[in-house]
Amino acid sequence: MLKQLANRLVSAVPVLFGVLLLGFLLMQLIPGDVARVIAGPTATQDVVDAIRRDLGLDRSLPVQFAAYLGRVLQGDLGVSMINNVPVASELAGALWPTAELVIACLVWAVPAGIGLGALAAMNRGGWIDRAIIALSVIGLSTPVFFFALVLMIYLGYYWQLFPFLGRAGPIWTLEGLNGIVLPALTLGLSFIGPVARMTRTASLEVMSADHVRTARAKGLRERTVMLKHVLRNALIPVVTLVGLQAGFLLGGAVVTETIFSWPGVGRMAVGAILARDMPLAQGAILALAIAFIAINLLVDLAYAVLDPRVNRA
Amino acid sequence: MIDLALPAGTAPIRRKRAGMLSRLLRDRVAVAALIVLGLIVIAAILAPWIAPHDPYLTTRRRLLPPVWEARGTWTYLLGTDSLGRCMLSRLLYGARSTLLIGVLATAAGGAIGVLAGLTAAFYRRFDGLLMRLNDVLLSMPAILLGLALAAVIGAGMTAIVVALSVATIPTVARVTRASALVVMGQDYMEAGRSIGLPDHTLIWRYLALNCISPVMVYLTLRFAQTILIGAVLSFLGLGAQPPAAELGMMASSGRNELFIAPHVATIPSLAIVVIVLCANVLGDALRDLLDPRLRKL
Repeated sequence: MLKQLANRLVSAVPVLFGVLLLGFLLMQLIPGDVARVIAGPTATQDVVDAIRRDLGLDRSLPVQFAAYLGRVLQGDLGVSMINNVPVASELAGALWPTAELVIACLVWAVPAGIGLGALAAMNRGGWIDRAIIALSVIGLSTPVFFFALVLMIYLGYYWQLFPFLGRAGPIWTLEGLNGIVLPALTLGLSFIGPVARMTRTASLEVMSADHVRTARAKGLRERTVMLKHVLRNALIPVVTLVGLQAGFLLGGAVVTETIFSWPGVGRMAVGAILARDMPLAQGAILALAIAFIAINLLVDLAYAVLDPRVNRA
Repeated sequence: MIDLALPAGTAPIRRKRAGMLSRLLRDRVAVAALIVLGLIVIAAILAPWIAPHDPYLTTRRRLLPPVWEARGTWTYLLGTDSLGRCMLSRLLYGARSTLLIGVLATAAGGAIGVLAGLTAAFYRRFDGLLMRLNDVLLSMPAILLGLALAAVIGAGMTAIVVALSVATIPTVARVTRASALVVMGQDYMEAGRSIGLPDHTLIWRYLALNCISPVMVYLTLRFAQTILIGAVLSFLGLGAQPPAAELGMMASSGRNELFIAPHVATIPSLAIVVIVLCANVLGDALRDLLDPRLRKL
């Protein structure tokens, strides 16, 4: 178990390195000569050169990259070019709203998807099964923003049930809870299809296994068989799926945040890229990539809990 | 009577293919998807000739609703957008860009992926390195790649086509490699090698042709996903730039009038759903016919 986790950590290193390289590249793209800007228009060439030496800008790119790595490790991500606030503090404020959104989505969409998938598997070939398959394919084929727009039009505007712009407060307050409903519904709707599909396939596979037949033969109720003998085993591939789809989920979060003006990392990344605010873009992309790697590690941990066989391997 | 039956393994390939096609045609849902997708592709290709208006021409008849609503007119079947441009014409041109993004990215990423997969399977000494590189690519979600590329080279069609191509490479390489490794174990590969065929003949005539069918199925499914992600990136403003027409971007620009003229945003969104749905249904049907093992991907 520990060994496997260590393996995963090691294999995350090249990815992290690539992302950091990208972040460094983005910082190089900042237009203009930084040293000259700091020195001011009247400074002599000597002064500019001195500042350049001070900042380490006269060194080779690999040395500068090493310096950049050092700064990132110390939490120094530069200063936003637009509002002059340190990127790290901007990010710190945006991380929690994104986490809130992703958690609120998973909390309802994963159980709902598992429920639908199990229901479909229990009624294999029947109209319930076919309806659930059809719905999940439609869900898979719908861009996240379409869910958002439709929910905004109906639940937000016509029926005025929930607010749909911005975040009113943390999730444990009533306003905060009310405000997260539409974004969480949007993100969840795009996630329910894959989960239901995977649960159905996995359940069908487990249902034909010997131990399920034995459970039925000893007269267990269908519900018990399904919950204790089928679903527990079927959950393993579903958990893998949640891990594999982490990128999809974060991508969905980027869109959802942008549409609902949710002050998270995704909206920050898009805003920074469109405004060409390189330090902020670099910080936000780094944060998203690290979140992606972290989710995958968490999924590996979840395996060990669900599947004792992983421990032995 | 002499029995001329061939050994089971060498059943004529052509017969198998024909059976496949007729089985696909028996799947009514798949046929419907094929027809709808075909019509959309034709309409998109013919956009300059069949569009009722100039998609970029702004008029003063702004935000007209579609013909089936009370104020709708027959001149603008799907209404107009906030600049008074014909929605139907923009939809046709938009479908053109959206499909083009999907085709370009799937083709480019698919080609590189197939090349990498074949190389890894044929020249085993490159296998470890290629697959390790592949894993790194695989751990970069497409949307993140799109964001990063848009940040580096600026928002635009190039950024998203490149991002989507790169995102296509790793899984295609995996599917190709897996399929190619099975072919590498066949006797005819050994036979080809022993009569001294050059590598390129072995790779293209022997290996590639025999391992390509699961790859094609996968690419159909990937095409659907690519279009979906492309539309999302365009929606975020990272892809096609105004005044160009692209479905995701059109949906995004309709956000300002969402509550007074919802059709500006919902019609292009629905078009995306239809295109992606058809491609998904078609891909699923092909996969079930050709290679049910791909289900796991």
